[in-house]
Amino acid sequence: MNLNTLYLAVAGLVLAPLLGGLVAGVDRVVTAKLQSRMGPPLFQPFYDVGKLWSKVIAPASHWQGLFVRWALVASLASDVVLAAGGDVLMCFFVQAASASFVALGAFCGNSPYGKLGAQRELFQLLAYEPVFMVGILCMAKAAGGFDAFSIMAAQGQPLLFKLPLIVPGLLFAVLVKLRKSPFDIAASHHMHQEVVRGVYTDYAGRDFALLEIAHWADVTVVLWICSFLWATGPLQMLATGLVFLFAALIIDNISARLTWRTMLKTVAPLTLILATANLVWLYLE
Amino acid sequence: MFGSFLKTSQVKSPWLLHFDCGSCNGCDIETLACLTPVYDVERFGIINVGNPRHADVLVVTGTVNQRNAVILKNLYDQMPSPKLVIAVGACGCSGGVFREAPNVLGGIDKVIPVDVYVPGCPAKPEAIMDAVVTGLAKLKGILEASK
Repeated sequence: MNLNTLYLAVAGLVLAPLLGGLVAGVDRVVTAKLQSRMGPPLFQPFYDVGKLWSKVIAPASHWQGLFVRWALVASLASDVVLAAGGDVLMCFFVQAASASFVALGAFCGNSPYGKLGAQRELFQLLAYEPVFMVGILCMAKAAGGFDAFSIMAAQGQPLLFKLPLIVPGLLFAVLVKLRKSPFDIAASHHMHQEVVRGVYTDYAGRDFALLEIAHWADVTVVLWICSFLWATGPLQMLATGLVFLFAALIIDNISARLTWRTMLKTVAPLTLILATANLVWLYLE
Repeated sequence: MFGSFLKTSQVKSPWLLHFDCGSCNGCDIETLACLTPVYDVERFGIINVGNPRHADVLVVTGTVNQRNAVILKNLYDQMPSPKLVIAVGACGCSGGVFREAPNVLGGIDKVIPVDVYVPGCPAKPEAIMDAVVTGLAKLKGILEASK
């Protein structure tokens, strides 16, 4: 490991959650505009996390604090792996561990809504992980390597032209990870729904603030991996990430929530078949 | 610097928990009207949450009676400190026209401490939003004093 890799890793550790917070701010402002509202300031998510950090409340279970911290470490580690040009598949698995820790923490609490949300979180993992993994396999096959640098260095023709069929799968993963309709099944992003705040119900105060930072880190990783589709330069990557973000926001605002059964039995198999067809096509080429 | 950011955050991010404590629904409709594009309380960073563990401000409508006093106290106790309580409408402030009823205890302040009272039957959305802003000014004062 040379010094440059270390600098990149530290930059990923610090900047990725901040970028995720900014994405959350853009999300709230754009959503408000789409609903003809003025909306909160761009930095509102940072105020929210600051507020939660300063709240004094006993955890619902003493195990929760531990799981929250592990979830944060796993999410930040996935950022670091990606920023340092590491294995994208490894980054993806580490991030899956983070989501599992969030669910485990919710299972430790007493709230039935938290437990229901935790079960749904596991269903979500079951639905989007295979699709996202096949998407990454496609990228690696097309770019000739699993490490982030070789995928990003695939200059010339953007990967999108070789991988058009993984786009629905990636968008599905983005919607799930951003906790957006129609797939805000585990945490009910918009409040006052039947599961209150789902998997987040029992988390409060400082633990919830840390979980929010972990969520920001996750969002950055997912959008970053999506931006590999057009990795001909940093600006093009940023634009690709923004296209996925805005597509998710528009879908969120025009759709109602699906049930986990529809997600697991219809959307996940369809997107998986499309992504696998793309992978087979790459091998036959 | 971090400390002042945290204090600013507490004033800029009030999450509301709305509890109907036996209201006729008039004040509830006006409270929920605050979320619509016409009033858009989210511009103040306000979110309407359904979980007391996430809430900073308890907005209560209606009278308190023997049965729901326990629930009101329970919700208040579950909220993390520092917290504000806003009594909305004539019933929430004093019991309103129901105050002499045998099962009615009176206003919200018979059970939990109230920071801001919003008069009206029903209270106007503008008055409810003004109450939240007034409550936040009070919270800011408390935070400044605790320096």
